[in-house]
Amino acid sequence: MITQTEAGGVPVLLAPTTGPTHAGLAFRVGFADEPLARRGITHLTEHLALHSMGVTDYHYNGATGVEFTYFHMQGDEDKIVGFLNGVCASLRDLPMRRLAVEKDVLQAEASGRSPAVAEPMALWRHGARDYGTPAYPEWGLPAITEDELRAWVARYFTRENAVLWVAGDAVPAGLELDLPSGVRHPTPAPSSALPVTPAFFPGSSGLVVWDAMTPRGAKSAIFADVLERVMFRELRQEAGLSYTVQTDYQPIGRDGALVTAVADGLPENQGAVLGGMVDVLAALRAGRVDPADVAAVVTKRVEQFRHAESVGARLPGQALNLLLGRPVEDIEQVIGQSRAVTAADVAEAAAGAWQSGLLMSPVHPEHLGFAAAPSRSETAVHGYAHTSLEEPGHHLIVARGGVSLVQDENVATVRYADCVIARAWPDGARQLVGADGIVVRVEPTLFADGQRAIGAIDAATGPVRVFQPPRAADDIPKPQPRAKRAAAAVPVGGNRALSIFFLVVLWPAVLFFGAIGALLVISLFVDTEDLGATIVALVFCLGVAVAGAFGIRASMRRLRAARA
Amino acid sequence: MSDRVLLDPAAAYPEVTRVRAALAARDWGGVRTVVDAAPPVGRSMLLRYGADGDHLEDFLRYVVATDPADSAAAAMLAMHLIDIGWKVRTGYRANHVSREQFASFHDWLRKAEVVLLDGVARTPADPALWVARITSARGLQLGLAETRRRYQRLAAIDPHHLPGQTQYLQRLCPKWSGSWELLFEWSRDAMKAAPPGGPQALLVAEAHIERWADESPDGRRYVRDPAVRAEIYEAAQRSVLHPEFRRDYGWVQLASTFAMLFCLIDDRDGAAAMFRMLGELGTELPWGYLGDDAPAVIAARRRWALGNGGLR
Repeated sequence: MITQTEAGGVPVLLAPTTGPTHAGLAFRVGFADEPLARRGITHLTEHLALHSMGVTDYHYNGATGVEFTYFHMQGDEDKIVGFLNGVCASLRDLPMRRLAVEKDVLQAEASGRSPAVAEPMALWRHGARDYGTPAYPEWGLPAITEDELRAWVARYFTRENAVLWVAGDAVPAGLELDLPSGVRHPTPAPSSALPVTPAFFPGSSGLVVWDAMTPRGAKSAIFADVLERVMFRELRQEAGLSYTVQTDYQPIGRDGALVTAVADGLPENQGAVLGGMVDVLAALRAGRVDPADVAAVVTKRVEQFRHAESVGARLPGQALNLLLGRPVEDIEQVIGQSRAVTAADVAEAAAGAWQSGLLMSPVHPEHLGFAAAPSRSETAVHGYAHTSLEEPGHHLIVARGGVSLVQDENVATVRYADCVIARAWPDGARQLVGADGIVVRVEPTLFADGQRAIGAIDAATGPVRVFQPPRAADDIPKPQPRAKRAAAAVPVGGNRALSIFFLVVLWPAVLFFGAIGALLVISLFVDTEDLGATIVALVFCLGVAVAGAFGIRASMRRLRAARA
Repeated sequence: MSDRVLLDPAAAYPEVTRVRAALAARDWGGVRTVVDAAPPVGRSMLLRYGADGDHLEDFLRYVVATDPADSAAAAMLAMHLIDIGWKVRTGYRANHVSREQFASFHDWLRKAEVVLLDGVARTPADPALWVARITSARGLQLGLAETRRRYQRLAAIDPHHLPGQTQYLQRLCPKWSGSWELLFEWSRDAMKAAPPGGPQALLVAEAHIERWADESPDGRRYVRDPAVRAEIYEAAQRSVLHPEFRRDYGWVQLASTFAMLFCLIDDRDGAAAMFRMLGELGTELPWGYLGDDAPAVIAARRRWALGNGGLR
């Protein structure tokens, strides 16, 4: 039973638990709120706020997500009070002397982070803004100033924009939550970079990924679970085309959700993986939903809800709901919503989802009714054309309103008014990203009178400019005759094949060990026996997963040519 | 001696005439009465023959729109769209087809694919839909894995569905990015898996004709290879010469194909037996490989095989 109360002006959700007491303080701010030129500012705030906690053996952590940032602590009441009061004090007065060090720490963390399977989806769906920004690295870090951090905290880390959950008997005595006053910030409205849906973009890895914007609620969540069951049956058990078949349901904002489906496959089978997956989606859309699948999914969900309720695991989700302005739902209400979902509801959810679908596929799915997502700009700006020193037909066009890179029929245009970041290297190289996700990369050494172009671009992009560390001399391109480049391009093919091989081999390993690791993390909360053995196994699994993910990331980087 | 050659399938299968008449009267119920009474292979063939008519798109779209669960209508509509596309493409080898022709061909096939995606979603167990899907997969060059998946879905419904098998066979040919190894291995397996006297020996016969055509002008040497001859006779024994062989849907194609193979290997008696079985009936393929005017080619070979007696 969840009860609502209040502490220090912050709404509190309280629920008894059978395990140790734990508490979390969440704020309605995350990656989706960050402009790309300040990407990383929320994560940096979280790190600085936790720094004063020092090195202890407390079970605490902080996490920054797409929509929320939270600080979590497990232990006895004194420790929880000390931790949360300390976090609030730090937020009021961030340890700015740590700024440079924490930026370095974040960059190190980023290089070891495992990229989500569906990461490119957000970029293609939303562009380089709101719900698209999580797909980008923390590119804004070098530019973030102390004043900007203070302003960010004053805007988002306030009483009105916070919620506290406590899995325990009462709000711990002595909890002050001394936070500045502000306003509640709703989540940003999701932008769209897709003029037409269903849409697709080419993926280069051994995966077919589909996602769709759906209404939030039990119907969409159960649709996602039914989809996984049917895909598993058809793609893995019957056709033997895929090893990993997964779906996910992720709420977006107050009323929306994103349903994602992933299926892997050997490179030579990807056309069939795509065909089989789209057939499953089309069958559900057409109303061919087996009530037995729906019943199985609902039974499993109800069990999960009951278990989560018993260990207080529903509490954080309900707290976040409260921050979004949604009512707190008790367990019977939630179970009732799931039980009410019928096969017809699932078909209706599938039909709606189909309309907003986005597909990442190594094989073109135009014949299945998916339109190509824009990967280039419709028009170029009219301005001064700097001729390429490598390809006489290629131009960099700099105008008052923006800049275009024209390579034969490929046009990439970023208008200054829509430019969300201008990464700037001391040697003059610039990388401009438009709100639609289109990238213009300017290497002044490769264009006639290139430095003049840089001057014009800099004059128009000051507010979003982010300076980068110097590049090694070898990394600064020099114009090469065409024949020489053609010869140099040969080994790239080999690397590409190797990269694809790595992706195919590593994905199952990462998903397997990652999943085991995640289960072990949960068991840490639930079951405290054999703690030592669990932690050893956990470290091993996560180690393998992270190492694999690192390999995947390296391979993906080599492969990712589109939009960069 | 009659030199008449009847290529029209209606001459062999009277139901084709009834399907055409119902289509001409825009009487979909009439079409369903005929096709629903046919066995699965006959149904797929009748839908395919009906789809060959002109100006059917609007009518069939109307039928599908008013009853999306009518998979016979979806299959015929898709086959009709595929036919239009293939007429634009023409049957020539790819290097004789222009860019514009290919673009238009693919547009028509994509229209068919959208119809088939929804048709299969609603009625996955209708073999005619999968026959059309195997055909369009080849035209769109969707890759072997996806075409094989589609064939396996068809085989799960009907393991000996000749109209789909002959489409899949084309995909396995080198000219459609397959290989001789794939083609012969699969067609031999399909023949051996078929019941005695069944028509699947056609697949081995067609495989040899494809190989012969590809070896041209040295095709004669290929078909006279003792191993090839032996396999042609084995295939004939399993089908057209087998006591269990019946004049079911597809029989004309079998007799016509073996007639040509026997002509190619100079087996006059073998060819004569096939021509007697056929009477005036014939098929455009495979005779089209011997000349643009298939009826004239058939008539000439028939005269050679039957001698002065001819068809009486």
